[in-house]
Amino acid sequence: MTQVILGQFLNGIIVGTLYGIIALGVTLTFGITGIVNFALGQFMMIGAYAAWHFTDITHLPYPVSVVLAVLVAGLAGFLSDRALFQFTRNNLVNGLLVSIGLISVIESGALLLYTATPKNMDFVLSGSWTVGAITISRMKVVTFGVLLAVIGLTWLALANTWLGRATRAYAQNPEAAMLMGVRTEMLQVGVSVYSCALAGMGGALYAGLYSLEPSMGALFILKGVEAAILAGVGNLAGALVGGIILGVTESIGSLFLPTAFRDAYGLVFLVAILLFRPSGLFGSQK
Amino acid sequence: MSAAWLLLPLYLVPVVSHSEVLLTILIFTYILGILAIAFNIVFGYAGQLTMFHGAAFGIGAYATYLILTKFGLPFWLALVPMFGGILVLSLLVGWICFKFRLREFYLAVVTLAFSELTRLVVLNWNSVTNGTLGLLVLDKPTVWLPGTGIVKVDGTLAWYLLTLTSLCLVTVLSQVLVRSWVGRNFAAIRLNEDLAQTLGINTFRYKLLAFTVSNVLAAFAGVLFGFYTNYIEPSQLSITQSLDAIAMVLLGGMGSILGPVVGAFLLTGLPHVIEFSAELRAAAYGAILILAILVMPRGIVGLFSRWRHVS
Repeated sequence: MTQVILGQFLNGIIVGTLYGIIALGVTLTFGITGIVNFALGQFMMIGAYAAWHFTDITHLPYPVSVVLAVLVAGLAGFLSDRALFQFTRNNLVNGLLVSIGLISVIESGALLLYTATPKNMDFVLSGSWTVGAITISRMKVVTFGVLLAVIGLTWLALANTWLGRATRAYAQNPEAAMLMGVRTEMLQVGVSVYSCALAGMGGALYAGLYSLEPSMGALFILKGVEAAILAGVGNLAGALVGGIILGVTESIGSLFLPTAFRDAYGLVFLVAILLFRPSGLFGSQK
Repeated sequence: MSAAWLLLPLYLVPVVSHSEVLLTILIFTYILGILAIAFNIVFGYAGQLTMFHGAAFGIGAYATYLILTKFGLPFWLALVPMFGGILVLSLLVGWICFKFRLREFYLAVVTLAFSELTRLVVLNWNSVTNGTLGLLVLDKPTVWLPGTGIVKVDGTLAWYLLTLTSLCLVTVLSQVLVRSWVGRNFAAIRLNEDLAQTLGINTFRYKLLAFTVSNVLAAFAGVLFGFYTNYIEPSQLSITQSLDAIAMVLLGGMGSILGPVVGAFLLTGLPHVIEFSAELRAAAYGAILILAILVMPRGIVGLFSRWRHVS
C-alpha cells in the first residue's frame, strides 16, 4: 500500500507541475495585464498538437519539436494579444469573455485540422526507472525536470534581471513603473506572449506522455486557475506549489475516495482555501 | 411595462410563418432568454459575477422530472418542491460566498467550483440521475385553457406559446424587481458596494437575494429546456451552459431588460441561419462573442440607448 501511495504521490507531483506551468501563465497574465486568459488551456493544446505534428508527421527530433511548438504557441499568443487582448487590458470581465470566445475558435480550428480522434505520439523516451519498489517512466521524470527548470528560471529571471524587476514593479504600481521608464505596452505584450509560450511548452511535454484531444485545454485551464488561486494570485513560486498540491490531492484522494470525484477534491480544497485564507496559501494576509 | 409590450407582437409569429425551424429557434431563444434574464439580474443589475446559474438550470430540470416521476405529482406542482430546493441550495452557496465577502474573480471561481461540484454529483449519482446517459423525459406539462380544459403541451406551436408566455412573465417579474427599491439597492451595490454599505444597505442580504432570484429563474428555464427537448443530461449543468448565458447577456446588453433576450436570439439563431458544419458553428459562435465584446461593449441594446434602462 505504501508503494501505491508513494507512486500516486509522485504521479501527482508530475501532473501538478503541468498544472503549475499553466498557473504560472495565469498568475503572470493577471498581474501584468489584469485579465485571466481562459484560453491558455487552448494554447497548451496548440503546443501539444504542434509537438505531435512536428514529431510524428514531419519527423523532427522531439526536442526540436518542443522548441518549435513553444514558438508556435508564442506566435499564436502574440497574434491573439495584438488582435484581441490589447483591447481588454485591466478589464477582467471582458478579458474573460473574449478568452472564452477564443476557446471556441481555437478548438474548432483544431477539430477541423486534426479531427476529434485522439492522437498518440510515438514513444520518444521509453523505459522507466525503478527505485526500490517504485517504477516511474523516464519521460515523466524528464517532463518534470524540464518544467521545474523553466519555472525556476522564470522565477530567477524575475528576481534578478532588470526586466524581471520592471515586471514586478509594474505589477505593484503601473504608473510609477511607467514613470521609471518601463515600456509598459511592450511589457504587457511580452508577458502575454510568454504566458502562452509557457502553456505551449506544457502542452508539448504533455504530448510525450498522454494522448491528445482538441478538448484537452478546458481541464488544464481550470486546474491552472485553481492552482494560481490556491497559491495566491501573483505568487510565482506559489503557482508551482499550488499546482503540485492540487495534483497530489487529486491522485492521493482518488486512492481513498471514489475516482469519479477526482476533480472534486481540488475544488473542495480550493473553496476552503479561498474562504479561510482569501489571499491564498502563500499570500500575505491583509 | 414597456419592455414586456415589445414581446407581445411575437405571439403573431406563428400566424405569419409556419416554418418549424423558425419556431424552434424562437423556442430555444425564449428558454435561453429566461436563463439570460436570470443571470442579468445578478450580474447586470447587482454587479456580481457568479457562475452558478448553469448548475441551477440543470438541477431545475433534473429535480422537477425526478419529483414528478417519484411522487407522481403533476408538472406544475412538482415545480414547487424544486423551487424550494433551489432556494435552499442558492441560499447555502450564496451565504458562503457573500459571508466571506468574495468579489469579482474570486466570486466567479468559487461559484464555478460549486457549480462543478454539483455537476459531478449529478454525473456520478447513477442510481438517481442515470449518469452520463441522462434521463429521457416522457412527460409533458399540461395547461388549463378556457374552453378546451386541460391539455398537454405538445408540438411546436404549443411550446412556442408556453415558452413565450413564460418569457413574458419572467420579463415582467424582473422589470418589477429591478424598478423597485430592491432594484435600486442592487444598482447601488453594483456601482459602489462600500458606499452602499455606508448608506445603510445590507449588501450581504441584497446580494444573496439577487443570487437566489437569479438561480430560481435559471432553474425555471432549465425545466422548460428539459421538458421541451425531452432529454436531460449532466452537460446541461456544465460551465459551458453558464458561459453561454453570460455571452448572451453581454452580447445583448447587460443591465437592460430585453438585452439578454436579443443576445439569446442572436447566439441561438445566427449559427443556424448560416449553414455551417458543427465545427465552424462553434467558431462562428466564438467570433460573434469576441466581436460583440470588442466592438459593442454595451451590447446591441446599448447601441439603441433610448431603450436602455437607466438606473
